Amino acid sequence: MIEFRNVSASYDGELPVLRDVSLTIPDGDFVAFAGTNGAGKSTTMRLINGLLKPTSGEVLLDGVPTTALRTSEVARKVGFLFQNPDRQICQPTVREELLFGFTAVGEGGPDAEACVDAMIEAFGFDADAEPFLLNRGTRQLLALASIIVREPDVVVLDEPTTGLDYRECAKVMEAVGRLNAAGATVVMVCHDMEVVGDYARRVIAMTAGTVVDDGPTFKVLRRPETLRRAHLLPPQVTEVSMLLGADPALAGTAVARADTLDEMAAAVAALASEAARAAARERAALGACAPMGGE
Amino acid sequence: MIEFRDFSFRYREGDAPVVRDVTLTIPDGCFVGITGAAGSGKSTLTYAVNGIIPHCYPGDFYGAVTVEGMDTVETSLTDLSRAVGSVCQDIDSQMVSSIVEDEVLYGLENFGVPRDEVEARLADALELMGIADLRHRAIDSLSGGQKQKVAVASIIALRPRVLVLDEPTAELDPASSAAVFDLLATYAREHGTTVIVVEQKIALLAEHADMLVIVDGGRVRFAGAPGEVLEHSAELLELGVNCPRSTSLVNRLRASGLYAGPAARDVAEAAAACREVIA
Repeated sequence: MIEFRNVSASYDGELPVLRDVSLTIPDGDFVAFAGTNGAGKSTTMRLINGLLKPTSGEVLLDGVPTTALRTSEVARKVGFLFQNPDRQICQPTVREELLFGFTAVGEGGPDAEACVDAMIEAFGFDADAEPFLLNRGTRQLLALASIIVREPDVVVLDEPTTGLDYRECAKVMEAVGRLNAAGATVVMVCHDMEVVGDYARRVIAMTAGTVVDDGPTFKVLRRPETLRRAHLLPPQVTEVSMLLGADPALAGTAVARADTLDEMAAAVAALASEAARAAARERAALGACAPMGGE
Repeated sequence: MIEFRDFSFRYREGDAPVVRDVTLTIPDGCFVGITGAAGSGKSTLTYAVNGIIPHCYPGDFYGAVTVEGMDTVETSLTDLSRAVGSVCQDIDSQMVSSIVEDEVLYGLENFGVPRDEVEARLADALELMGIADLRHRAIDSLSGGQKQKVAVASIIALRPRVLVLDEPTAELDPASSAAVFDLLATYAREHGTTVIVVEQKIALLAEHADMLVIVDGGRVRFAGAPGEVLEHSAELLELGVNCPRSTSLVNRLRASGLYAGPAARDVAEAAAACREVIA
C-alpha cells in the first residue's frame, strides 16, 4: 500500500510543487494521475519511487516511510518506467538489459536467467538485438519488460504511451494490464485520456500541486467542475454522452451513461428502434382515426 | 503550392526506399496533417519539403518535390529555409540559446530582419504562443511543453510561408495540445501559411486539418479531407492508425445502417449524428 500523509515537496527548497497532498493507493489498484503540465504529477511519481523526499509530511510504502528506506530498497518494491526509455536502457543487448536488474543487486544466476528467458519469449524480443537499434515502441516495451521481470509490487509509469503509435501503445498497455491483473499495483501519469478510460479504474486529478478530485475513472471524468479545474478533456465517447445527456429528453437514458464505444453504439441503436416503434404506433393510431373513404 | 511528383527516397545507409512513389499536391494555405505507424515514412516526407533531404541526409532521390516552384534539390538550404520554417521532433536539438528571448532573436538576426521590425516580431510571436511571461527565462528551466512553445514561436517570428512541425505536441497535456493546434490553425488562416504537421494524436488532426495524409510503408494510402479519409476506419486500423473514438462511433452507426451522413471529425459532430439517429 502507498500512503501520502500531508506531503509537500519542492525541488529548490522554496517553491512548493506539491502542497499538502494526502492519498492512499491500496494494493492491486490501477490509478491514473491526470492534469496539466506542471500540476505535480511527475513529482508525485518521484516521491513514490523515493527519488524525491518530501519537504514535509510522509510517503509510506507498506507502512514504512520512504525516508527510512534506501533507494535500492524502494527499487525492489517499486518499478519505474521513465517517459523516455533511453534514460534507462544501458546494456548492449536485450538479454543483458533484462538481466541488469538482477545483476545490479547481486541476484544474477540461473533463476534470474530463467525469468529473463520467459520474458524474452512473452514479449517476442530478439535476445541479441542491440537496444538502441530497436524502434521507439520496442525500446519502450523493453524498458517495461526490464521492470516487470523483477516482479515489483508497484509499477510507476510516467507517460508510458507518449510518442508511440496506436499498435505500440496497445502492446505496452496490454502488458501493463496483464501485470495489474496478476496483482501488481499500477500508478501512471498519462495525458491520453482514451488510454486512461480504457485501463485505469481510478483517476486522481491534480492542479497546481494539489489533488482536486479522486475517484472511479468515469465519475471523476464526468464532473464538470473537476474537468474545468484540472483542465481535462474526458474520453471522446464520455464527452459525447455528456453532451447528449444535457438534453432533457435524453437525460437518464442509457446514452447519458455510456462511456465505451460498445455501450454508446448499443444505447443509440436501442433509442433509435424505440423511436421507430413509437413512430409506427403513431402512424397506426393516425390510420385508425383517419376518415373512411367512399360512400 | 507544394508538389510531390513520383517522389521516392532511400537513405544512403538504408537497404530500401523509406518513401515510395508519392504524388501529392498541397495547395497554398492548407493545414495538412500527416500520420501513420512508426517508421512509415512520415518524417521523411517533411524532410523533402524543408530540404533536410537530400541536403543534410544524402541518398537516392527520385522524382521531384517543389515548394512554391522551387525544386528542393536544386535550391540551397538557405533559400529554402526562408520559405519553410521547421520545428523538430527533438526540441532540445533545435535550441541554440540559453534565454527564451535570445532563441527567438537568433533566427530574426540571422535572416537579416530589419532592426525596427525585430521587437514587434519577437513580441508578437511570444504573445501568440502565450509565453510572453517567459521572455527572460532560462531555457533550461522550462518544462518540455514550454520549450515546445518557444520552438514554435522562434519559427513563427520568421513568418515562413510554409510551416513544418514534427510532433509539436508530444510533450504537452491535452488542453495545451488543443491550444497549440488552435493557435496554428488561426495563424495559418490569418497569414495564408501552409502548415504541415506530423502527429500521432489523430483526434487533433481530424478536428483541425484541411487535409489528412495517411502514410504506410512509405506510400501515401489516403489523402483528402478528414471527413472522407476517416470513413475508412477499418482500413486505417489495419495500417496502425486508430480513428478518434467519435469517428469510430459514427462509423459504427453508418455500418449498421442507422446513419447515412458523413464520418464525424470530432465530438460535436458525433453528438449531432447520434441525435439524428435517435430522433
